[in-house]
Amino acid sequence: MPPLDDVLLVTLPVLLAAFVLLDRHLVRACSLFVLFALAVALTWWKLGFLWLAMLETLLGAALTGGFLFHALGVGLAGRAPTARLAHARDPVPLIWRRGLVHLLPVLALLGMLAAALGSLPASDGSLAARWSGLVLIGLGLWAFALHTHLLRRLLAFNITGTGIFLLLMSLVGKTAPAAGQGLVITGLVVALLGTALGALLVRRLGALVPSREPASASDGQAS
Amino acid sequence: MIERLGLVTTQLPTTGSSVMALLVVVLPLLLGVLGAACRPKRGWPAVLASLLALLPLLTLTPLVVSQGTQAWVLELDGLTLHWRANGLTLLLLLLTQLLVLASAAYAPAYLRVAVQAQGRGPAWLWPLMGLLAASLSLIWLAADLLTLYIGLELMGLSAVGLMLLPGREDALAAGMRYLLLALIGSLAFLLGLALLLGAWGRLDLAGLAEAVEAGPVLWVAMALLSAGLLLKAAAFPLHAWLAPVHGSAWTPVSALHAALVIKASFFIALQLWLVFAPQAAVAAWVVGGMGAAAVVWGGLLAWRADKLKDVVAWSTVSQLGYLLIGFPLLIGTAPAVASIAWDGVWLQLLAHSLAKAAMFLAVGNLMLATGESRVSGLAGASRRFPLALLSFGIAAISLVGLPPSAGFTAKWLLLHAALAAGQWPWLLVLAVGTLLSAAYVFRVFRYSFVEDVELEDYRPVPLRMDLIALILALASLLLGLAATWPLALLEIAGGGP
Repeated sequence: MPPLDDVLLVTLPVLLAAFVLLDRHLVRACSLFVLFALAVALTWWKLGFLWLAMLETLLGAALTGGFLFHALGVGLAGRAPTARLAHARDPVPLIWRRGLVHLLPVLALLGMLAAALGSLPASDGSLAARWSGLVLIGLGLWAFALHTHLLRRLLAFNITGTGIFLLLMSLVGKTAPAAGQGLVITGLVVALLGTALGALLVRRLGALVPSREPASASDGQAS
Repeated sequence: MIERLGLVTTQLPTTGSSVMALLVVVLPLLLGVLGAACRPKRGWPAVLASLLALLPLLTLTPLVVSQGTQAWVLELDGLTLHWRANGLTLLLLLLTQLLVLASAAYAPAYLRVAVQAQGRGPAWLWPLMGLLAASLSLIWLAADLLTLYIGLELMGLSAVGLMLLPGREDALAAGMRYLLLALIGSLAFLLGLALLLGAWGRLDLAGLAEAVEAGPVLWVAMALLSAGLLLKAAAFPLHAWLAPVHGSAWTPVSALHAALVIKASFFIALQLWLVFAPQAAVAAWVVGGMGAAAVVWGGLLAWRADKLKDVVAWSTVSQLGYLLIGFPLLIGTAPAVASIAWDGVWLQLLAHSLAKAAMFLAVGNLMLATGESRVSGLAGASRRFPLALLSFGIAAISLVGLPPSAGFTAKWLLLHAALAAGQWPWLLVLAVGTLLSAAYVFRVFRYSFVEDVELEDYRPVPLRMDLIALILALASLLLGLAATWPLALLEIAGGGP
C-alpha cells in the first residue's frame, strides 16, 4: 500500500473534523460533517471493514446529516418557515483563552489514554487509525466543552464517537472482529438516535422560545 | 463475589427456561405496542400486557430456586452473548415488572386528569415505557459487556424520550441537558469497553474476570466506565441534572426513573467493580466518600428545596449515597463483612425503589390535588387529602429508615457491615443521613398540617391513583417485615454451594 494513501486517509478525517468543529457557519459545518462521515467510511473500507463502511455511509453521512439539516430547518425543498429561528451562525465567537483553558482537561484525558495504550502494541496497519482516533476524540471533547450551541455540541459528540470507533477497531483488529463490530454498530445506531432526538429538540426549542435563543436576534436572521 | 453475581455456573439451561428468559425481555415491548395501538388514555390493555409480562418471571423463579443459577449463551454470527439469571436477577426483574405495572396502572388516570390532550405526547408514553422495561430486563440478565452496552443505551435513550414527553419549555431544556450528559456518559462507557476489548479480546464477564491483570489499561478503563455510569446514576459530583429533569417530567415517569433507571447504572458499576477490581480498596473508598458527600449534600438540598418534586429528587441523590457506601464495604473486605454488606446493598436498593416510586406518586397526587408545586402550597392538605399524605408518610418511614420498614433493615445491615469492617466514618454518615431525611420529611408534614387555611380550589384525584401510591408505600414497609424472603432468594441465587 503506498504510504501516501495511508497518510491521506488518516489526515483527511482529522482535517475535516477540525473544520467542522471550528466553522461558525452552521450549514457549512453540517455539510462538512457529511463529507467527514464519507471520509471515515472510506477509512473503514480501506481497513477492510466493509459492513462498517456501508453503515457509516448510511447512518453517519445520510441519516445523521439529514437530521442535522432538519435541525437547521434546511430541507430538500429549501428552507422551512421556521428556519429563521435556527441561527445559521453560532452567535458566540471563539475566545482563544477560553479554548486553551478547556484544552487542559482534554489533554489530561488523552495523556491517560496514551498511558493505557502504551502497553497495547499496535500492528502497522492499525497505528494510523489509532492516532486519528485519538486526535478525533481530543478534538471532539474539546469542542463539546467549548461550544454552547446545541447543534455544535451534537456535531462534537458525533466526532468524538467516530474517534472512539476508530480507536476501538484499531485496538481490536483481528482478535475479536465480531465483538468489535457489534459494539461499533450499536454505537453508530445510538449516535444516530441521539442526534435525531437532539435535532428534533433543537427544532422544538427554537419554535417554543424564539426570544430566548442565545441572544442574537440581530444576527442576520432576525425574526 | 463472582459466584454471588451468578457469573460462574455449570448449570445447563433447559429450553423452557430459555424461552422464558426471552419472554421476560420481549413481553414488555408488547405493552408498548398494545398501549400505543389502543387509545393512550385508556390503559387497560397496557396493564394487562404488563401483568402478562409477570407470567414468564413466575415460571422462571421456581426453576432458579430449585436448580440454581441459569446461564444462556446466544451465538449470533461470530458474536456470543451471555445471559444469566440468579436470585438477584430475579429480584430485580420482579421489582422492574411490578413498578412498570404500577406505573402503567397509574398513568391513564394521570393522563386524563393532568394532561389535557396535549398533542401526541401521551401516545408515545407506552412504547417508550415498554422499551424502558425491556432494556432494564436486558441489563439485569446480561452477563457480557455487549449486552450491557445495548441495554444501557436503549435505557438511556428511552428515559430521555420519556422525560421529554410533557413538551413544555422547561421539560425540553432539562431533557436536552439530560440527553447531552447521557450521550457523554455512553461515550465514556464505550471508550472503557474499547480498552478492555483491545487488551483482552473478549467481552463476557466471567472470562474477563479471569483474564484481566492489574495495570494502567485496567485502571484507565475502569475509571472511564465508572465515570460514565456514575454520571448516568447521578452520583454525587455528577448529580446536578437530576432535579430539573424530575421537576418537569410526568409523575409516573419520574417514579420509574428514580426507582429503576438510576439503579441500573449503579448495578452495572458495582458489577464491573466486583468482577474486575475486587481488591481495589482505595478506589472503593473514593467512591464511598462520594457516596457520603451525596448523602449529606442531597439531604441538605432536599431540606432546603422549595418545590415538592425537588425534595423527592434530591432525596434520591441522598439515598443513592447509601448504595455507593456499599462499594468500600464490598470491595477489599473480609468475606464475612462483604456478605452482610451484600444483603444490605440490595435490600436498600429494593426498599428505596419501592419507597421512592410511592413517594413520587404520592407527591404527584398532592400536586395535582392542590394545584401547587411548592412545599408551602401544601397547607391544609392533611384534612383534605389524607390518603396521599398517608402514602407519603409510609414511604418516608422507609426512606428515613425507621423500623419496621425495609429501609431500616437495609441500613441496619450496612451499619453492621461497617462496624464489622472497622470502617467508622460510614457510621457517622448513616446517622447524619437519617437525621437529614427526617428533617426534610417533617418539613413537608409541617406545612401540610397547617390548619387555618381556607383551600378554595382543590380537586381530589381519582381514588385509583391514591391507592396505587399507598400499595407501593405499604410494600416498602412490609418488605422490612418479610425481609427474609428476598434475603433467602439472594442466598440461593448467590450461586449456592
